[in-house]
Amino acid sequence: MDKTKKQAEKLFGLSAEEYEKISELLGREPDSFELGIFSAMWSEHCSYKSSKVYLKTLPTEGGKVLIGPGENAGVVDFGDGDVLVFKMESHNHPSFIEPFQGSATGVGGIMRDIFTMGARPVANLNSLRFGSFSHQRTPYYLSEVVRGIGFYGNCMGVPTVGGEVVFDECYNDNILVNAFTIGIAKKDGIFLSSKCEVGNIVVYVGSATGMDGIHGATMASEEFDLKKNKKRSTVQVGDPFTEKLLLEACLEAMEKKLIVSIQDMGAAGLTSSSFEMADKSGKGMLIDLDAIPLRTAGMTPVEMMLSESQERMLIACEKEKFAELKAVFDKWGLNCVKAGEVIKEKVIKFYYKSKIYKTLDVDVIVNGPEYKRPVKKPEYLNKIKPVKINNYKIPENLNALAVKIITHPNIASKRTVFTQYDYSIGTATVVPPGFSAAVLRVNGAGGGKNKPKKGGKGFLLNAGGNSRYTYLDPFTGGALAVTECARNITACGGYPVAITDCLNFASPEDPEIMWQFAYAVEGIKSAAVKLNTPVISGNVSFYNETAKKDGGGTYVSKINPTPVIGMLGFTDDVNKALTPCFKNEGDEIYLLGSLKGSLGGSLYMELAHGDFRQKPADLDLDYEVRLQNCLRSLINKGFLKSAVDISEGGIFTALAESAITNPEKILGFNVNCDIKAHGLRIDEFLFSEFEQAFIITTVQKPDGRRKSETAAILKKYGIKSEKIGVVEKGAMKINGIINLKSDKIKERYYSAV
Amino acid sequence: MDNKKIKAGITVFPGSNCDADVYRVLKSVFGVNASFIWHKDEIEDLKKYDFIVIPGGFSYGDYLRSGALAARSPVMESVKDYAAKGGIMLGICNGFQILLEAGLLDGVMLANRSLKFECKDVYLKTLNTETPFTCAVKKGAVLKMPIAHHDGNYFATESLISGLVRKKSVIFKYCDEKGGITAGSNPNGSIRNIAGISNETGNVMGLMPHPERSSEKILGSEDGGWIFKSIIKYIKEK
Repeated sequence: MDKTKKQAEKLFGLSAEEYEKISELLGREPDSFELGIFSAMWSEHCSYKSSKVYLKTLPTEGGKVLIGPGENAGVVDFGDGDVLVFKMESHNHPSFIEPFQGSATGVGGIMRDIFTMGARPVANLNSLRFGSFSHQRTPYYLSEVVRGIGFYGNCMGVPTVGGEVVFDECYNDNILVNAFTIGIAKKDGIFLSSKCEVGNIVVYVGSATGMDGIHGATMASEEFDLKKNKKRSTVQVGDPFTEKLLLEACLEAMEKKLIVSIQDMGAAGLTSSSFEMADKSGKGMLIDLDAIPLRTAGMTPVEMMLSESQERMLIACEKEKFAELKAVFDKWGLNCVKAGEVIKEKVIKFYYKSKIYKTLDVDVIVNGPEYKRPVKKPEYLNKIKPVKINNYKIPENLNALAVKIITHPNIASKRTVFTQYDYSIGTATVVPPGFSAAVLRVNGAGGGKNKPKKGGKGFLLNAGGNSRYTYLDPFTGGALAVTECARNITACGGYPVAITDCLNFASPEDPEIMWQFAYAVEGIKSAAVKLNTPVISGNVSFYNETAKKDGGGTYVSKINPTPVIGMLGFTDDVNKALTPCFKNEGDEIYLLGSLKGSLGGSLYMELAHGDFRQKPADLDLDYEVRLQNCLRSLINKGFLKSAVDISEGGIFTALAESAITNPEKILGFNVNCDIKAHGLRIDEFLFSEFEQAFIITTVQKPDGRRKSETAAILKKYGIKSEKIGVVEKGAMKINGIINLKSDKIKERYYSAV
Repeated sequence: MDNKKIKAGITVFPGSNCDADVYRVLKSVFGVNASFIWHKDEIEDLKKYDFIVIPGGFSYGDYLRSGALAARSPVMESVKDYAAKGGIMLGICNGFQILLEAGLLDGVMLANRSLKFECKDVYLKTLNTETPFTCAVKKGAVLKMPIAHHDGNYFATESLISGLVRKKSVIFKYCDEKGGITAGSNPNGSIRNIAGISNETGNVMGLMPHPERSSEKILGSEDGGWIFKSIIKYIKEK
């Protein structure tokens, strides 16, 4: 007994208490098959046992939401009988062990979640976090992860239209790969995993089952020890060509109404798909393990159940339609085998070697533990104080510092990354990667016979989060991740609709980490409620930490808390989409909103004064809503030529990027702002980040009507606007202090990463 | 002749992924009667089509070599026959690779010089405007179109190249915005900046950039549309 128990803790990641609980539920010790199933389904990755109590507090309904969390992905109403289906998921642990396959299968997995629902994937995004740019392993991780994402997404023919790449030393020992996919479907063509009927045949389709990915879910629910390389076999191997065939075959079978219910085999493969489908449908299943197509002969039942081989689906289909279903999968050259049946009794009966092998109760397996883990305010937070700016001298050469900021790897263009992704396939990408939010049209809107003027609906996507600010203030960081996405979407001419979240944290067993988690979720919740963007899907990735050797002893390297938000926005007219870059010489530059000038957490404080660990400004969420509504009104009126928020790198960066990212020309600006009137020092004005303000441009000398309408909009929302300069050619000038040549900066901006 | 009466066939192999884009653009932008040709249909009579497009993608996952397996697919016998009889045929990206592998065009594709997938807008100089694919293009015009490929580094021996040049079969070269054929404007290392070539008889063309992704202003360029307009013009005037 002790031996098995030890094995449970060592190999399967269950705690001693969980092992006791399982024994109690079964009325005996579990055998190795049962232990395998329990360990997967009760893993943090599959059960959300530490996070559930917090996730329940998030807003998940209202607005355009049709289906919230619980299914393979969330669904929102896109009007005209169309729905959009989206979700973001982490693939951090596999990507750290094997970055190419880890990131590739992360992309493959999230796309499967989308087409399982009956939606054709139409765009991918990703949020990537690597160690410090100068860390010796960063180039390896960066190139392999990007190659993996491109390998899978490009072959699938789904454009990768945006995302973010962030470098920070907190990820030196744990990189993050969060992948987002959105798909489009008809409202009456959504497929769920909860619709199994008694008598349906359980069908296994797709790739054969192999030895890859076994214990993947368990692995992703543990921190890394010093023997990371031993976990390589837990990483899945991706085959995007097979997934492309699976996509076409599934959509064809759905179109022909041959599928009753469906779930993809993601984490914990056949185990989670069979138990979750049975549970959600309130039914049971017979599963014939002899029928499972195998890549490796002689796999044991537990290996078959835990394999995370990719490109597989479990389908429930009406008996009489099986032949037709099989014909579709035959056409695409894919396995399609009868693997069981849906039964009334809520158990799963496994057949192996033609005999009943095991019978497991669905409720017992599915209703895993739920923890309210202890929380404790982190020690370090007591030292995080607001910046006392008078203790810091303004650097003598602000121009040199400005160059350092605009060429910093976290600011500079990621063109070398996103050109490795096919972003133009689908003929829907109206605003490509490299600007704030991606803008996509649907059904060929705004082109072809409907010549541009007519317009047509489209959607906007953005993903991001700032782990430094979350580290310094978990609540504000969580709220900021949501508002920042919304700012990008609003600035590009859309209105925010719904979000998905990927919550990347260190070990939940550490009360200080759990405290960060609780407050970050609270921040997301507050912002999501105010901005009316329900959370319709997402995932939690804990245990992003690694034991490291340090001289004689060991220590644990933990990531900063990293909540990442993926946001969807709508636009009624894709032709009104706005890019953040300046358009023409002579256009007037305005500051819309107000400035706080808080430098806590900023890149400036790190680069100029060697310490970013100070308190960021609080967010005024009510003001934020007014500000974004005001900006949206101005854009919808057609008054603006560009709009951009003030994020990392401050106003200087917002202005500089606007000047140099115009693909057609190189522009500059001359800005003169009365900073004393704002009560700010020059460094506060130039570099404070995440201000509740936008930089907007309008035509030169707007006419009287436009002026009065603008004034009325500003008044309505109670937002200030101030002219601060004009768009010029050639140079970037601010208050006679900053003076940089645009062409030189442009060249360095595009070649730094 | 109404565009609706022009019939276009678009081949679909397992892993083709630009088929739907080409279909939509031909139909909704140019009003052509487009339909798909499934790769297993070996006996399909292709005669009914006024032209055939072999679209881009990752046919057979690019396993073995890009385009190698598709080139040996059942439908290719009919495709070769169609080309031999003078049928108009355009291969885009992976379609170009398939035409090379099938021996319908000369040369080979190597991996990009960067050894990376490259997705970006490029400029193309039109060297021959007297082909079915360029007859509507202004002489020497510079067209903006996107590329999206990993293996687009065209290579052929010197003797093949001089043959191509002599027969005016080099149709497009990568160039800069102003039409200068420079090393800096070559996105993938193609020999002599070659982006598109035709066969000796001029009825088959392969092109790495994607005209279907640049046929509408809202997508940033309408220049790719000139290729489809040329094909339509050629068919109407034939």
